[in-house]
Amino acid sequence: MDMDNEDFKVPIKEKKKAYEVDFTSLSQTAIEKMMDSELEHIAGIFGVDRDTAALLLRHLQWNKERLIEKYMDNASSVSIDAGISSPSTSTSSPTIPSAPGPSRRTTSRSSTKVLGPSPSTSKQRRTPPPAKKYTPSATSFTCHICFDDSPSLKTRALGCEHTFCLGCWVDYLGSRIRDEQELVIPCMAESCALRAPDSFVRAILVPDAGSPEAKSMTPEEKAAGQKLWERFGELGVRDFVGANKALKYCPYPACTNTVSCPSASTKASLTRIVPIVTCGARGIPQTSQSPSSSSSSPALNPYAAGGGSSDNTTLDTAASKEHVYCFGCPVESDHRPVVCGVARMWLKKCADDSETANWIKSNTKECPICQSTIEKNGGCNHMTCKKCKHEFCWVCMGPWTEHGTQWYSCNRYEEKAGIDARDQQSQSRASLERYLHYYNRWANHEQSSKLSLDLYAKTEKKMESLQSSSALTWIEVQFMRKAVDQAVRCRRTLQWTYAMGYFLENDNMKELFEANQRDLERSVEELSELLEGPVPVDKEGIGVLRQKVTDKTVYVQMRNEVMLEDTANGLVEGRWKWNAPVEGFSYEEDGDVDVLP
Amino acid sequence: MDARLRRVNKEIADCKNDTTSNIKIELVGDTPFHLKGSFPGPEGTPYEGGHFEVDIVIPEQYPFSPVKMKFMTKVYHPNVSSASGAICLDILKDAWSPVLTLKSTLISLQSLLCSPEPNDPQDAEVAKHYTTSKASFEETAAYWTQIYAGGPGKKTSSANSAPVRDEIAMAGLERAHVDQFEALGFERTKVIEVLRRLNYRGANVASISEDKVVEELLR
Repeated sequence: MDMDNEDFKVPIKEKKKAYEVDFTSLSQTAIEKMMDSELEHIAGIFGVDRDTAALLLRHLQWNKERLIEKYMDNASSVSIDAGISSPSTSTSSPTIPSAPGPSRRTTSRSSTKVLGPSPSTSKQRRTPPPAKKYTPSATSFTCHICFDDSPSLKTRALGCEHTFCLGCWVDYLGSRIRDEQELVIPCMAESCALRAPDSFVRAILVPDAGSPEAKSMTPEEKAAGQKLWERFGELGVRDFVGANKALKYCPYPACTNTVSCPSASTKASLTRIVPIVTCGARGIPQTSQSPSSSSSSPALNPYAAGGGSSDNTTLDTAASKEHVYCFGCPVESDHRPVVCGVARMWLKKCADDSETANWIKSNTKECPICQSTIEKNGGCNHMTCKKCKHEFCWVCMGPWTEHGTQWYSCNRYEEKAGIDARDQQSQSRASLERYLHYYNRWANHEQSSKLSLDLYAKTEKKMESLQSSSALTWIEVQFMRKAVDQAVRCRRTLQWTYAMGYFLENDNMKELFEANQRDLERSVEELSELLEGPVPVDKEGIGVLRQKVTDKTVYVQMRNEVMLEDTANGLVEGRWKWNAPVEGFSYEEDGDVDVLP
Repeated sequence: MDARLRRVNKEIADCKNDTTSNIKIELVGDTPFHLKGSFPGPEGTPYEGGHFEVDIVIPEQYPFSPVKMKFMTKVYHPNVSSASGAICLDILKDAWSPVLTLKSTLISLQSLLCSPEPNDPQDAEVAKHYTTSKASFEETAAYWTQIYAGGPGKKTSSANSAPVRDEIAMAGLERAHVDQFEALGFERTKVIEVLRRLNYRGANVASISEDKVVEELLR
């Protein structure tokens, strides 16, 4: 796919940092243009119309090479599979001169004269009832779906001549497009595999303004038809985007933008970069189609712009209005600096462990042999592991056999086996404690990010009080807002550094990493403290506070940059060693990580 | 008039007028959107002579989304859940077409009874039974027909009044096998449940060791 066409590119960022990726944001219109050029290409090569080309391309997931190959090999079989022609009507000629797909019939009852073949009933299994003839007779037509036989009935049929009334087609399209989110619209007749081409759908949903159909529609019907047609277009774009690895649809609700990020289109590339992108749209319901630069000034009041976007967990100014997401994985937030594979592992681990981990820690022990977690809910200390049948003493964790004749008096503290068992146990406890260490910090920063909503409100109050108590103007007290933004952003970075730290191998690199993390965390906490603190009443005090906060904000920002830059560079250099196998990375025998060349 | 209502009313009327197909559709309540269909078991199958009732719910989007059908009469069939009566049939899901009618769908159900699809089962245990020993499966299916669907061999009209239900025949097991494990001191219902789950039938009997059965019984 030709991604280099300058027409579709809207550069977002000029200078690029190590932790940023190259991407372009595309509006739905831009994607439609790309689709169009693909369609034109195929239509030109095969000498078919665009409807046919669209059905063919969708059938083969927009894989042009495969389509051309298969079409050249056997055009009629591809056409049948793609729902362009039905098996019985397909001609013997190798190429279809003009595909019967779009030949729609706009007939009113009086002019309906179909002598065509009876519907081909290539019977599927378990569909024994004999298919009736749906072809209307010349004298009277009854729609076989609604049983309406009024003489004024308008009818439609695909190339297969299975004719139904217009009202049923509208309802059917509605149920396919709106309820089932389907782009593929097969003929309504049983076992008929013909698919409705775009022009057919369009003619039913949004008939041309001058046509009699359009005149007979109520404004509500027109609006509904228009909406369905738009949805149909959106589904088409989604289909196209889904088939292209270098594109990803914006996951934000009601957003129709797409991001193109060819540098993150392969699995291997995700081990070297963290492709956090933004689709360029702002706010939750977005109508503007032009992707704007991310550097435009933040709105003064986040609530006014966000439209009460209380569902945002990551509420920094950029995130509340810009749609920030990861190109490489389904995590819908900025998980820098950690790579997708590790982020996923971490989230999975948290989902598995966090809730129960604390309880397990205080209430259970592990079987000394198979490490099954055992809860003792009463009875004697002679335990038999349900899994491996190992018998041991609950008190000393040694094998029960060593208790010899002195049953129930567990005084064998010095037994070798008992010590080993306790060692193993403490090891497993240690690993749990280690996890909890990281998890608690991770969760804490996440919680703090969520509380930022309150912080915004508080800050706003504080800014008002600053204004009233000093000669500062509204613009001048913006330093508070900027500080909050920065604090929230850094907390998100910190949050994910704990996920990264958990999976990092203990080596010098990790020590450096932790030093960076420590510096960032300390400065963020200091900044937060300043923000939460009381507002001085005198002018001098405010001046001092302003200076302090501004200084701290700049410092924190710098630390954050350092953290992100260093981790991103480390990824590119393959400097980080993981202590668990991460998806996408390949491993040498000694367990070291070897980043793919 | 609402298109859905018109269509359903017409379908019900058509079915009433049609005397050849033996398919019946009745109203359950006041609305025509909750119906009860019934048809005789197809000839030459273990279901012959039975009378099968189907619960029919017409969804809001009908006929653009498929009708919801399930067996009210218990059926022993790989594509019908023996517990809930849920049916696994392509035209009730993605192969539905708006031109299909209640009658044609009920005829499809009837023919589903003729030709089970054990490779796409709704009830895995029944499907296993079918693939292990077809003869034994048919015996059980016929027994279920007799007990639940008023099949031949017992001329009582109501299924509930069937005097003795043989749980062993219901499960499609051999009496000797059940007796054998019952003799070890396990409860009969438990033995039946475990043997059914293990598919202790036909050629499988040789491949499942007694120890394995006992182990399952002890669980």
